[in-house]
Amino acid sequence: MSASNQTIEGNIKKEIQENTILIYGKGTKEAPRCGFTLETIQFFEKYGYPYQVIDVLNDMPKRETLSKMTNWPTLPKVFIGGEFYGDTDILDEMEKKGEVKPLLDRVFQKK
Amino acid sequence: MITQDALINYVRTALPDAVVSVTDRTGTMDHFSIRVVSDGFKGKGLLDRHRLIYQALNEPMKDGRIHAVEIKALTQDETK
Repeated sequence: MSASNQTIEGNIKKEIQENTILIYGKGTKEAPRCGFTLETIQFFEKYGYPYQVIDVLNDMPKRETLSKMTNWPTLPKVFIGGEFYGDTDILDEMEKKGEVKPLLDRVFQKK
Repeated sequence: MITQDALINYVRTALPDAVVSVTDRTGTMDHFSIRVVSDGFKGKGLLDRHRLIYQALNEPMKDGRIHAVEIKALTQDETK
């Protein structure tokens, strides 16, 4: 792995650690540029906990590093409490089983 | 753009028993919603089920025939 890739991975790990809910997506919270990123924002709006959106639309090296780290090819990518949770396909299923709120309550209590 | 049959064939190369239903979300045959029922998902968590499907669709997603795909992955038992 090249030095720059290591820096990218280091930065990602730092971002994941610093943001309890983190969405890597296309566009920003104010101006999402992809339907799935918008859906993910709307998903977390319901819960009232703070969440961060990081726009990686035009950052191909970072997108590639993220895909390798998660073994997940698409955006958005959601991290909660430092763990990877995929996207709203996964989160919607978890929500149906009532698993999302307890998870968020738990990770925000730990802070 | 990809045909339903071609998409289903890609999924079945990874999961031969898969029953796949495909919905074209935008009318352009490149944004899909797919429901895959296969016992190949048994004992696998949601993330790994989706990874399996993404791997099966790697080619058409890389070359742009598929822009976006929403996935539902169930075992036979879970459909009951």
